[in-house]
Amino acid sequence: MAMTTTTKPRKLLLDLDGATATASLFEERAPRTCEAVWNILPVSGRSIHANWSGREIMLHLEGDKILRLPQEVPVHSNYIYEGDIHYFYRASSLSRGKQLAYSAQFQRELSEFAIFYGEPAGEGLSAYDPPRTPHLDGVHVVCKFAALDRPIPEAFRLKCESTRHEGLKPLTVSRLE
Amino acid sequence: MAQKLRLRLGSVDATVELMDGDAPETSRLLRTLLPLEQRARHSMENGREVYFVLDEGVDIPDENQTIYQTVGDVLMYYKPSVFVEPDWTGYANQLPVLSWVYERDTAIMGTYGPIATNVVGTIVEGLEGLQREAPRMRREGMGTMSLGLLE
Repeated sequence: MAMTTTTKPRKLLLDLDGATATASLFEERAPRTCEAVWNILPVSGRSIHANWSGREIMLHLEGDKILRLPQEVPVHSNYIYEGDIHYFYRASSLSRGKQLAYSAQFQRELSEFAIFYGEPAGEGLSAYDPPRTPHLDGVHVVCKFAALDRPIPEAFRLKCESTRHEGLKPLTVSRLE
Repeated sequence: MAQKLRLRLGSVDATVELMDGDAPETSRLLRTLLPLEQRARHSMENGREVYFVLDEGVDIPDENQTIYQTVGDVLMYYKPSVFVEPDWTGYANQLPVLSWVYERDTAIMGTYGPIATNVVGTIVEGLEGLQREAPRMRREGMGTMSLGLLE
């Protein structure tokens, strides 16, 4: 009798200052991005709340964790939904003015995980501004590579929301073994 | 001579000049609301904007409106409440706000596109301090903001 092997889907564990959530990778949709992300885990840093795109926290990638990936999945609109996790890259040539809330190295080139923890997600200026639409030449890359598992834990959502008012909080994204 | 207001964010002071000429009704309305003091909120949807949430009963007239806001503008308008608190409040889907813009790459947006905002004043002094203090607060936590008549 032939043995069949099943591969366990790879998942992420997000720990935001003690509040946790899990996420599932979209390995069939974005295999190269998922692999690249998986290979740099765990990643830790201090998350900052978005100021253009609604209920989103960001984890900036730095040092040997920085990713400069091509646009793997075609994007025909900036449609974003609660729970989405995107790989985002913006080249240093695409300036948006001063980014004084970011660490110095991110004030120009930016490589990050964008974690949309609630609605409205991806609304506001990010939804209507052509410079925020991804390009194939790698100047600006957005790839949805994972989603938070449902239901998103309320404690995690509230902790994300609190970064708006309380400032940066420690975030670790690791492999859920 | 234009009426001047003192805007304080954390420990930083700035001066706002009211637009009595271009926005007389909105300027009058703002005077009736002063002094204002509450925890500052940073925009999550518009870029470099800091704001107060005003009482729900505040009735902002359509006056001196634009969808092309710029650095130093002081604005009054209705912000979709989903951008203020996480729970959508059924009875109030928009909230009156007073805000100011401190950097480029800012545009006031609703859930379906640009929002026309009343321009009620301009920051004429102290903008550089605000441009340092607002990002600092994004990192370290939002502090108190106040607005009152400049004595």
